[in-house]
Amino acid sequence: MLTLILRRLATAIPTLFAVILLSFLLMRFAPGGPFDGERPLDPATRAALITAYGMDQPLPVQFTRYVGNLAQGDFGPSLVYRDFTVTQLVAKGLPVSLTLGALALLLALTLGVASGLAAAMKPGGRADRSIGLIATLLTVLPSFVTAPALVLVFALGLGWLPVSGWGEGAPRHLVLPVIALALPAAGAIAKLTRAGLTEVLGQDHVRAARARGLSPLRTLTRHALRPALVPVASYVGPTAAGLLTGAVVIETIFALPGLGRYFVQGALNRDYPLVLGVVTLYAALIILFNLLADLAYGWLDPRVRG
Amino acid sequence: MKGLLALLTFILLAALLGPALLPWPYDAIDWNAVRAAPSAAHWLGTDGVGRDLLARTLMGTRITLSVAVAAALVAMLIGTAWGAVAGWAGGRVDDLMMRTVDALYALPFMFVVILLMVVFGRSILLVFLGIGAVEWLTMARVVRGQVIQLKARPFILAAEAAGSPAHATLIRHVLPNIAGVALAYLMLTLPQVVMVESFLSFLGLGVQEPMTSLGILVKDGADDMDLMPHALLVPGAVLVTLLLCLTLLGERLRERFAA
Repeated sequence: MLTLILRRLATAIPTLFAVILLSFLLMRFAPGGPFDGERPLDPATRAALITAYGMDQPLPVQFTRYVGNLAQGDFGPSLVYRDFTVTQLVAKGLPVSLTLGALALLLALTLGVASGLAAAMKPGGRADRSIGLIATLLTVLPSFVTAPALVLVFALGLGWLPVSGWGEGAPRHLVLPVIALALPAAGAIAKLTRAGLTEVLGQDHVRAARARGLSPLRTLTRHALRPALVPVASYVGPTAAGLLTGAVVIETIFALPGLGRYFVQGALNRDYPLVLGVVTLYAALIILFNLLADLAYGWLDPRVRG
Repeated sequence: MKGLLALLTFILLAALLGPALLPWPYDAIDWNAVRAAPSAAHWLGTDGVGRDLLARTLMGTRITLSVAVAAALVAMLIGTAWGAVAGWAGGRVDDLMMRTVDALYALPFMFVVILLMVVFGRSILLVFLGIGAVEWLTMARVVRGQVIQLKARPFILAAEAAGSPAHATLIRHVLPNIAGVALAYLMLTLPQVVMVESFLSFLGLGVQEPMTSLGILVKDGADDMDLMPHALLVPGAVLVTLLLCLTLLGERLRERFAA
């Protein structure tokens, strides 16, 4: 187990470093800087700003300094939100994004595994076929279509839930964003669970359990479900990543003060440190989720350990 | 299968021919009809600055599809070349090339694409180059697997024994045999690319006004949905139908050629 973690970390750290270097270089070679607004700045002011932010130094110096600060948890100052450091903005946005993502992941797993189970009980049956169709439909429904459609029905039409806003994290405000974010992942998880289960159900150890007289339900929960969830576990890493990207759109649509909104604002305003900080953080989170998924993999199916 | 193909063909034809058949260009502004309800003159009504929504939806579908086809082709070219070379070379080269693919899989792609859009300006050309450059990984893995299987087949060995140089064997004997699988994955890449393009355009980072795409139309529709829900629902429905058709067809093709 420990060697698995170490081996993963050995590839994770260079990947993270590459992400930082790539996004750093891209942002620096971008035509148009953060100080090229609608109104041209006075050359002296511009020069003073560039010196103040250390942007007149050679690139390797800037990069080394940036990585050094990063290691100490300092993402640098935001160039557009002048009174805030990127660390402060991230600290404000991250809890919102994580709440949203965790709830959506939970909902997607519950819905997906449950409907996958229901479908696999009787392969080719009516339930199986309709669940299969709905799951495919869910996976292709982009969240930026579902989200406004949900708002149209449940907020504007029926008036049950608020249209947008964070409302200090009140549950009412979270319902629609979490559902919109979870649905595509739920569809994919349902398909994977079904595929995994139908395969496992034909294997010898499951047939042996049935032959020993275990009830179908007990066979399913005790012997079949765990190995069947292996493909689901390997999907959770990428799903978590997908939820993070999806959250960018969901946060924009529902005006939630999460990381994704800062990212989009930063990208539109060329706020280098903010965009760099958020990309680095997202990359670190995705790598972490992939690592956790690998560990879950080993726990679910002992054959892959070692 | 036939129904899906028919629906897809209908959408393709509408996107291709539709804009030319309508009296309104997609960017013509009719100040006398701003946010007009659907009528005989404007079948789907008009948007916030009086542009015909039917014309815009057809044009948007065309742009979304063109970007998707171009980007998927870029992805297929890179992926096939990478996978074929890795699988054919084998050994350390293969190891190195596939490790690179593994590492790239771990990148937060959407953010890399957004970075590219921010840095190099928001042109359609870059949208598809950017998307194509990040969607080739799966193709590379699949093609590599196929090439490794083919390499051991007698007809390839025969070609080698007959003295055919490596590049000729690859082009004449290997590539035609992976065309089916590559085609299936090309179909499966298409909906993903459509999704990425719409996502970027929705955020304002993809296709730029007055040019339009399904993502932009969904965004505009979402902004006006309290006044005219059909402006959201029509482009949304076209987008979802397109994605569904492409995904289902791709899955059928994969079942047929892969497995």
